[in-house]
Amino acid sequence: MRSRLPLPVVALAALGALFVVLPVLALFVRAPWGQLGDTLSGVGASTALRLSLEVSLGATAISLLVGVPLAWVLARGAFPGRAVLRALVVLPIVLPPVVGGIALLVALGRGGIVGRWLYDVVGVQLTFTTAGAVIATTFVSMPLVVLATESGLRGLDERYERAAAAMGGSSWYVFRRVTLPMIGPQVAAGAVLTWARALGEFGATITFAGNLAGRTQTMPLAVYEARQVDPGGAILLSLILVVLSVAVLVTLGGRLLGVR
Amino acid sequence: MRATRIAPRLAVIACLASACTGTTPVDSSIPPTQLTVFAASSLTKAFTQIGEDFHTVFPDVTVTFDFGSSTDLASQIQSEGTADVFASASDAAMDTVQSDPGVSDRTKFATNDLVIITPADDPGGIGSIDDLTKPGVKLVLGAQGVPVGDYAREALKNAGIEQEALANVVSNEDDDASVVGKITSGEADAAIVYSSDVAAVGDTVRSVEIPNDVNVVAIYPIAAVTGSKYPDQARSFVDYVGGTEGQDVLQQFGFGPPGG
Repeated sequence: MRSRLPLPVVALAALGALFVVLPVLALFVRAPWGQLGDTLSGVGASTALRLSLEVSLGATAISLLVGVPLAWVLARGAFPGRAVLRALVVLPIVLPPVVGGIALLVALGRGGIVGRWLYDVVGVQLTFTTAGAVIATTFVSMPLVVLATESGLRGLDERYERAAAAMGGSSWYVFRRVTLPMIGPQVAAGAVLTWARALGEFGATITFAGNLAGRTQTMPLAVYEARQVDPGGAILLSLILVVLSVAVLVTLGGRLLGVR
Repeated sequence: MRATRIAPRLAVIACLASACTGTTPVDSSIPPTQLTVFAASSLTKAFTQIGEDFHTVFPDVTVTFDFGSSTDLASQIQSEGTADVFASASDAAMDTVQSDPGVSDRTKFATNDLVIITPADDPGGIGSIDDLTKPGVKLVLGAQGVPVGDYAREALKNAGIEQEALANVVSNEDDDASVVGKITSGEADAAIVYSSDVAAVGDTVRSVEIPNDVNVVAIYPIAAVTGSKYPDQARSFVDYVGGTEGQDVLQQFGFGPPGG
């Protein structure tokens, strides 16, 4: 039987819920629904939506590829400076994204410490490209998969891995066939959060990659630009993002995050 | 134990936060006025200076600024109504505010024409406005709806190179300051901005004149916003900007006189 919640808790919880729900609700109330067809069928919205999906999925893939091994090293590796490394790796979560964008500019921009070399020797400029948008988005969203995976690894009973190794499995085999499947749910949860964060990324992307339809203008940037010339359209574009994110968090998130 | 040691510190912090009025001599019966000025982002440096000068002349008035795209600021004034004075880079944005919530003392206070800027080392080889059409030139403009972006498109149209130049655009920035940032960071090859921007950033950029017959002159209107809590001070600020002291500062920062 559930214990009854004290009234003050319920009241504050209601206030907290209202605080989050009200602005989203306001978007629905104020949306110029008559304009919905035009906005949805407009080339701008579909271009931005497609680019947003490409960029966010690309960022999630890269985050998984390097973030999971990184989490493994942070959880299992014993080396000096591990705590500092972890702090640096999760820093983008608390950093204002525009700061991330500036940091990326001075590192990977055409005049940046590495970007200069990329431009002069390899002939590659990342700024103003879709690849640049993916990099900016990855920078901001990858820590989420690292944190989720590391927490999964820390909760793992290492005896399974030791048993597999004792039976002659190579360390790579054990990682692939024993460790990864056991932490699968946490990795998946981290991937969903990473993807959701990537979908909403704005500041680092506009600072590092710029804003051009079809190349770097993801949905959040399209919303920001539309707000100048078409405030109603900006609300409708925002709602597309809201619906998409809620759909993902409800269908996948709840289960994967271990909340029922 | 702990609480007793923290309590005096809290008292000190609370005292600092409330500015400990007991120790400050009360020199006037008039409470200090916080005047909020919304101004086009191209005015950032000039108006910051004017704000300080104004405070020296009217010590009981502190001026705080919100710099941004004029179009954006106009819609913020309509929805939030927090501005006492609005200084716009275009008549269109001022017209918006004039229709709702209304303005008084509207007057033209500065002009600004357009100029091409490039990084100091001129990676794109830009010698004239026609060079903006060279294949591969990375051109940055203000977005459509942002005054500096609309003026730039008008100048490109006047020069008869709108289509070719727009094909070279790699980013549509949200306000004038962001356009300049893409050149000072060295990421883009060229941008079209206000002449006043060159005076503000100095040697980090190189400028290329746009011929008078295709150039566009932006006329800046300023006005007191209806509904301000401080209409008198707002009018004083508008007058100050139009007066000798204000005009001197504006010209020092590269703006032209309102007459032409």
